[in-house]
Amino acid sequence: MSEKEKITPGEFLSQHIYDIAAYAGLIVTFILFLIFSGSRLSYNMATVLQAASAYSIIALGAVFVYSMGYMDVSVGQQVGVYAILMIMITNAIGGTALGVIVGFVVILALALLCGAFNGAVAVWLKLPSIVTSLFLMFFFTGAQLLLMESTGTNSISIQATIKPADRNLYNVMLIAAVIIVAVSVTYFFKFTKLGKYTRGIGANEMTTAQCGVNTTKWKVIAYMAFGVCVAIGSFIMLTRTGSAGKGTGSGYAMDIMICLILGGMPLSGGMKSKVSSALVGTFTYVLLTNDLTTMGVDLNMINFVKAVIFIAIIMVTCRKKDAVLPR
Amino acid sequence: MKKGLFRKISKKVSAVILAGAMAVSIVGCGGGNASNGSSNPADSGTASNNAADTGSAPAVEGKKCTIGVAFYTDTGFAVDSTKAYLESLSDTLNVKFTYTVLTQTDEAANLTKIQELISSNVDGIICTMDLGMPSIIQECEAAGVYLGGYLCDYDTSYNTAYDQVFKSEYFVGTATDGQNPDDVTIGNTMLDSLVEYNERNADAPITHVSMAIFPVWAFPAQSTGAEQFVAAVGVYNKTAETQITVDPLDEESDVLAFAPIDTTYFAKHADSQAIISFAAGSAFVYPTMVQAGVDSSMKLFTTGFDGGEDANFGTTGKGTYQQTMVTAPESITYPLVLLLNKINGVSFPDQPAEAERVSSAQYVINSDEDMTKFQNSCFFTKDASKAMYTPQDVLNMTAYGNPDATYADLKAILSTMTIDSIK
Repeated sequence: MSEKEKITPGEFLSQHIYDIAAYAGLIVTFILFLIFSGSRLSYNMATVLQAASAYSIIALGAVFVYSMGYMDVSVGQQVGVYAILMIMITNAIGGTALGVIVGFVVILALALLCGAFNGAVAVWLKLPSIVTSLFLMFFFTGAQLLLMESTGTNSISIQATIKPADRNLYNVMLIAAVIIVAVSVTYFFKFTKLGKYTRGIGANEMTTAQCGVNTTKWKVIAYMAFGVCVAIGSFIMLTRTGSAGKGTGSGYAMDIMICLILGGMPLSGGMKSKVSSALVGTFTYVLLTNDLTTMGVDLNMINFVKAVIFIAIIMVTCRKKDAVLPR
Repeated sequence: MKKGLFRKISKKVSAVILAGAMAVSIVGCGGGNASNGSSNPADSGTASNNAADTGSAPAVEGKKCTIGVAFYTDTGFAVDSTKAYLESLSDTLNVKFTYTVLTQTDEAANLTKIQELISSNVDGIICTMDLGMPSIIQECEAAGVYLGGYLCDYDTSYNTAYDQVFKSEYFVGTATDGQNPDDVTIGNTMLDSLVEYNERNADAPITHVSMAIFPVWAFPAQSTGAEQFVAAVGVYNKTAETQITVDPLDEESDVLAFAPIDTTYFAKHADSQAIISFAAGSAFVYPTMVQAGVDSSMKLFTTGFDGGEDANFGTTGKGTYQQTMVTAPESITYPLVLLLNKINGVSFPDQPAEAERVSSAQYVINSDEDMTKFQNSCFFTKDASKAMYTPQDVLNMTAYGNPDATYADLKAILSTMTIDSIK
């Protein structure tokens, strides 16, 4: 008999309590969703998909960063600037498909650059990564305001068609985008050095470095991988409204963090980090909002209820002995 | 080992139960708020007691429905009085109202807010902001939910997405907060108020004024209003004994980027005796006047009422405010009636093919007497019994409640909501 077969139910529960809690949360929110959506079930499914798609793509990319025990608080402002830039570039090229492609390539390049900056500067200056992302957050906040000031409007709209007129087709497009990104991230996270080393850095950076891993290089690559997902997520978010303004993307950084924690991602990173945390957490988060709405909770009270549930999850997953979240 | 695990799990389960109890209690509070103000004949599908109070039963009972109202802010006189007014209509109109707050800068967030309202099974939505409207209308079309505007001119949609928004069968039109950009009279109104002040104070008239506006991209009607004011003063000066000088708009100091006016304003307009603020003066001009110590020497003619202005209005207190103007909360009846018609599957015989934006009359408060009237309004008291139109009146404005009701009558009602109409 192997070691695995000797595991008792109690030990299994002990080892997988966080995963079980995350999946249970998703299942409960989904059951409530089915019960309370009533006649608007198909509409609500599309709504959940639309709201979750951009979050899940960005959260999938964030898995690389969070698995190292780092975080990036500049995501929201990056999303805002990328959306505005994409619109401006597309419109400047006449609202053509070429404009959309050029716009996306530009924001992708910028996202990669920011990823490299975040990863490299934090290492070179020996700063916590959150400090460099704070710098980027302030930089992009200013850039977003300046870009919108230059337009002289509160909101700008893209002149190209980036969203299928058919709602079902659009939903299929979103599902496809999420699946492609999820499969890609899973591959890189589970089957390549990138995932192995980022988890290793999260678990114990010193040990990982002493094993001969160039941690600086892999940190930069991890942040750049996140940048790719931020660029894709920004585009997906832009397809929802076709417009952007001074406040576009605000709150994304916190939402992504909540999604990952709801999905069971340890804030301290490490070997227990999982790609599934991004998807499970994002859909739990979005379904929870939808459930509370359809259950008749005052819309202004929803944030309070979500906060209470979030605190409950922190209380459950917090590891008392180390005073840190599980890793 | 097992005992330790049991203790660990039981602690976590207790934590979840406690948090769950908190969440449920908050849900309970939320539910209570949502039904606040509705003493529930609507739930049983009967006509309201309010109708009986007025002595006449409705011609036709409207469908029981829910209307979501998306405000631009969560509090303030306009929001609170509108909520009070809507709740007073709830029973008679058989409508439950639910509320949310939009952001002023994030289209995607607004779309999500509207999607949340639709998910909560509303039949119609009244929206006070024009941000991301084409995608919002698409959502309404997909869900079969109607949408109307209130306190907003929908100028962005009007100019950049007219076909998508105004031609949509799911958009019923909007009641503007004052004048539409193509129907501006506020410049003339400001001059009338100034002349009225000068007539009352012939011994110390105001002869030199300066202006303040919000950026043209946000409020084009204010820029047009300022131009109209300058032109009107020019015409007035041709025949008036007391000439009035208007400082031209200074882009740096007079156009407020949604931040309080800078103290340099007073240096740039050193001779000005009064500020004609087309922008919301209570929030963006008056505090700086106090800070600069000019609230006794300068007068303020402005739009909006945030509360407390009456303490320094006319001959009261320091007399800083000499005019203010606000839109009556009762003007929400325009989109509300049109939404109810749609929900009940009826329309006015003269209903226009495309949705319109209609200018609302405003309470223009020029004197102590006007302020006394205003202090008895639904806006000021947040008391729906002070409203100009009773629930039965509103029911009679609908096509299903009154077969003789017309769209022209409904539009005309918006022009009646002046200071003289307050009970």
